[in-house]
This record gives sequence, structure tokens and C-alpha cells, in this order.
Amino acid sequence: MKKYVSLAVCSMQNTLSYRLSFVLNFLGSFIALLATYFLWRAIYDGQSELAGFDWNQMKSYLLVTFFANSMLSYYSESGITNKVMDGTVAMDLLKPLNFQKARLAESLGSCVLEGLLSAVLISVLAIAAFGIPMPVDGVSGILFAISMLSSILVKFGIVYCTALICFYTTSGFGVIWARMAVTNLLSGALVPFAFFPDWLRNVAMALPFQGIVNTPTTIFLGMSDTREAILLIAVQWFWIAALWLLGRSMWGWAVRQITIHGG
Amino acid sequence: MSLIEAKGLRKVFRQAVKEPGLRGAVKHLFTQRYVDKHAVDGIDLTIREGETVAYVGPNGAGKSTTIKMLSGVLVPTSGELRVDGFVPHKQRMENAVRIGAVFGQRTQLWWDIPVRESLNLLKDIYQVPEDAFRRNLDAFVELLGMEEFIHLSARKLSLGQRMRADLAAALLHDPKIVYLDEPTIGLDVSVKQKIRSFIKQMNRDKGTTLLLTTHDLGDIEDLCERLVIIDHGRIIYDGSLQAVKDAFARERTIHLQLGSELAEPSLLFSDLPEVGMDRTGPYRLAIRFDRFRITASEIVKRIISQADVADFHIDEPNIESIIRRVYEGSLDLELAAESPVAASREA
Ligand SMILES: Nc1ncnc2c1ncn2[C@@H]1O[C@H](COP(=O)(O)OP(=O)(O)OP(=O)(O)O)[C@@H](O)[C@H]1O
Ligand SMILES: [Mg+2]
Repeated sequence: MKKYVSLAVCSMQNTLSYRLSFVLNFLGSFIALLATYFLWRAIYDGQSELAGFDWNQMKSYLLVTFFANSMLSYYSESGITNKVMDGTVAMDLLKPLNFQKARLAESLGSCVLEGLLSAVLISVLAIAAFGIPMPVDGVSGILFAISMLSSILVKFGIVYCTALICFYTTSGFGVIWARMAVTNLLSGALVPFAFFPDWLRNVAMALPFQGIVNTPTTIFLGMSDTREAILLIAVQWFWIAALWLLGRSMWGWAVRQITIHGG
Repeated sequence: MSLIEAKGLRKVFRQAVKEPGLRGAVKHLFTQRYVDKHAVDGIDLTIREGETVAYVGPNGAGKSTTIKMLSGVLVPTSGELRVDGFVPHKQRMENAVRIGAVFGQRTQLWWDIPVRESLNLLKDIYQVPEDAFRRNLDAFVELLGMEEFIHLSARKLSLGQRMRADLAAALLHDPKIVYLDEPTIGLDVSVKQKIRSFIKQMNRDKGTTLLLTTHDLGDIEDLCERLVIIDHGRIIYDGSLQAVKDAFARERTIHLQLGSELAEPSLLFSDLPEVGMDRTGPYRLAIRFDRFRITASEIVKRIISQADVADFHIDEPNIESIIRRVYEGSLDLELAAESPVAASREA
């Protein structure tokens, strides 16, 4: 266990050594946030409510989405993909480490920084500019925190499995872009599920992506009662477990590619 | 007790055959053709605890492939393999803590964190006790001269510095066995020297077993007692380095520059058929002989009886020339064990 903790700490340090590109990356998503903010403001112009969201709720939705999306950013994702692509995976086989656990530790390590940075930024924004209502009672606050943490694990599962797909393909970029596009749409990061046509919402709810954005935002906005919130979190954990197992068997397959065909 | 035991170890790679050009690339999409490449073709190798083994052979002979199988990075196609009782690719964790490996072209350090931090992390990964870690780290820093770069990240290191850091990383957990795949490739003489004396000390003090591949024959002479030569995936020599040297130390070559033509060359050594005579130019001769059968002075005396000798010198055989001739196929080491001069004339 201690080895994975050290790995997480090192990865945090590593993220710091990339502070410039890390901050730039972060600024990029922040600018995107501003753009969507103004877009939605224009849409809400003269409307008090759209698809059950009033303007204040929409603003909270945007901020929570931003927070969820800043976790496990492109940087940590490409870290895993690169390992697969440049063949350093072979060096990992020499160490007494479980590949999947090691990657999880590293991802969580850099998440701490990503989370801190965006939490600071969001708090400043929320208080200074938007005046966002926070979840009122303690219970929904705790449920939100749990669903946020679970959201990271769901995202890790998806990121890890897609990174392993790179064993099939020869380019990591394409896979990452496809993953991002699908995740953005089906997690609710682009548009809340409430705006989806029924069939698309049903599809999205049946897939793991909704655990990344839809679950924490729904809980944050108080659109679910306690029982529903717990159910949503249970669904997140179902996906965390399923994706972990999928990742494990994909890794088993990938190891065979490396060790039998020589990478 | 033998630490590494390989029987009939074999690795076959499937290499895709692509025809050149766009047409070939398109064709490859539909019909894939493969050829089997027997990179390691049934080797038997037993290495005892504390041995130092040089594993040499020409490019593409299968050295790295063998080491990758021994370290568990590649799964053998067939054959039996046990390292300290474990099957490397199956019992990965058990194997990993027992071995240390340096692949010259790859690093196992983290690119972006200081070497010291990398080593600290490895301490936790291998669960090295704190005091053993301190002791090793201090010793390694001193022996390998790492003081000047231990605070830098691996990205910033020169090749020689990185190799030293990698070596330290591979030996930090006191592995029983160390595999070194070209550890001195591209290094200057002084760094080479540091690395060699470090490895020697590890072997002497801790009894670390060593398997080393290299194209630098200085490494072999300096570090290894046993020599294994592999070619086309097969072991063509396995024995003590000293035996090879002894066998070939018998063979000498004398080069002569003559002042006139030999009168009767065929009669010169008619009583000694194993002496070989080559004309290397006009008035130039190279004569190979077994120094236990005939002395250099006797040879010169015989030549002088037929022609003027302007100049001459004697070549001492070194391990490099021996191995080069084995690669080229002009020397059979099995035969050599009996009669070196005869063996080299076979070709
Ligand atoms: N992953 C692979 N796929 C296909 N063929 C491979 C693969 N790895 C190695 N080979 C082939 O196997 C043979 C042995 O390669 P290997 O790397 O073991 O040689 P080597 O003895 O280490 O050579 P060198 O001295 O150049 O390092 C070569 O012909 C090489 O082309
Ligand atoms: Mg090699």
C-alpha cells in the first residue's frame, strides 16, 4: 500500500514540475468555461426557466461541471497513453507493481493538485461573481462530496480502458479525442441531460459516462432526494467496479501483446 | 545451487512482411503475411549463484531477447525457465524483487523528478528497509560519483550520468541477480571504469550474480569469468573466459617483411603441418604457429636460411580478435579447445 501512496506523492510532484503547461491547460478550460457561460446567458436572455433549470441553477451546473472536468485532465490521461505508446510499459513489468493500481495512484496524485487549483478558482468565482447557492443541508453536502470523488474513479476507469485501446491502434491522439468527445456529450458536460431528447437521455443513463458529471451536478442542485442520490452513487460504484474489472482483463490482454509479440 | 536454469529456451517472433510502397501498405490491410523469426533458438543455460557471465554475440544474435525472457518481460515460446525457483513471466512480483536490470537504451527512472526522489520512490516500491537504503545510497553515490547530478531530474542527465543513476536504481534493493544489457554503450572511458569497478564490487561484496551483454570486450575481460557466445539464437560457446584465452594464447602470428623471395617455401615447415603460412603481400608473410611446438626464433631462423628478413613482429592474441573470428565463422571454439592452430585452419 505504501508504495502506491509514494507513487501518488511523486506524481503530484511531477505535475508541479509541469506547472506552466498545467496552468496553461487549466486556463484553456477556464476560458472555455467563460465561453459557455456567456453562451448560456444569451440563451437564458428573457427566459426564466429552460428544461426545468433556472439561470442560477444553470450557473451552478456550469461550475460543478468545470470542477468535475478539471479532474484527471488531458495531462494525466496522456501520461497513461504515452506509457502504452512509447513502450516504457516493458520497464513497468520489471517492477513489483500492479500496473492498474500504480496508474490509479498516479492519477489520484495529480488529481489532488488539479482539484485544489480548480476548487480555489471556483470558490473565488462563485463568491465574487455568481452568487451560487451551495447545497443547503449537511447530508446533501456529504452526498455531493462522495459523488464527486466517485466521479473521479469512474473517469479513471474510462480513461484507463481507452488508454489500453492504444495497444490496438498506433496513435494515441485519435483515441483520446474520441474519448473526450463521447465523454463530453454523454456525461452531460456539454448540455444537461434535461435538454436531451428522451431516447438520448435513456442511452446516456445506461452508460458509465453520466457518473462523471450528471450524478454530482444532480446531487449538487438538489434535483434528487436523499434516496435517489444514494441510488445514483450506487450506480457510480457499479460502474467503478465494472470498469475496474474490464480494465484488468484488458491489461491481461495487453500484457500478452507485449510479452508474446514483443510490443 | 543454480540460480538461473534454462532448458531449450526458445523465442519465435512473428514479423509482418510488408511489400514496399502504397500498394504494399494497402495489400497488407487485407492479406497479412508473416515470417517466423527464431530470435532465440533453443538455448540451455545454467548459471550458479555469484557467477559473472558475459553474454556476447553479433547484432541480432538474440542477446536482448534472452535477457528479456529471463527478466520476465517476454514470454518464451517454448522451453523451461526458472530464476531462483520462479517462472519469471508467471510469478512476476516474486521475480521482480529478486532481479535488477539495466537496459542500456531504456531508463527506469522517472523523467521529471530528481534522481534522489526516484531512488526514494524505488525504496518504497521494493520495500527496502530504511537503514539498508541509507547504506546503499551512500555507497552508490560515492562509488558512482553521483554527487554532482543526484538532484537533477533524469531528463537533464547526460548519457553517462543517466546510466550510473540507472545502475544505482537497479541495485538499490540488493537483488540477487543483475541483468545488464549493454550498460556501457556510448560511455567515456572514465565512466566505463567507474561502472565496471562498481559492478565488480557488488559481485565481490554481496555475491550478486551477473549476466552482462556488451559489445565492449573490455567489459568482459574486466568483469566476467565465464563467457557465453550466442549466434543466430544458438549458443556456440559456453565456458570459462580463461580457457578461451589459454587456448588461444598458444597461437601466435609472426609477420615478416622479406628482403628477397623465399627459395623453397614448401620445404620450410614440411615437418610441422600445423604451421600456417599466408602471403600478405609481395615479400610479406604471416605465419601462424603453436608456441608450444615451435618457437618464434626457430621460425625466424628457418626463414633466414632461405631469404633476407628486413623486419618482423609478433601478434599477441587478444579476446577481441578471438571473438571477432568466432563471429566471422573462421574459428570453431569447440575444436579450438583441442588444438587452436588446427581449428583456425579449418576455415
Ligand atoms: N519485438 C520483436 N518483433 C519481431 N522481431 C524481433 C523483436 N525483437 C527482436 N526481434 C528480432 O530478434 C532478433 C534478435 O534480437 P535481439 O534484440 O535479441 O538481438 P541482440 O543480440 O540483442 O542484438 P544487439 O547486439 O544488436 O542488441 C533480431 O533479428 C530482431 O530483429
Ligand atoms: Mg540487444
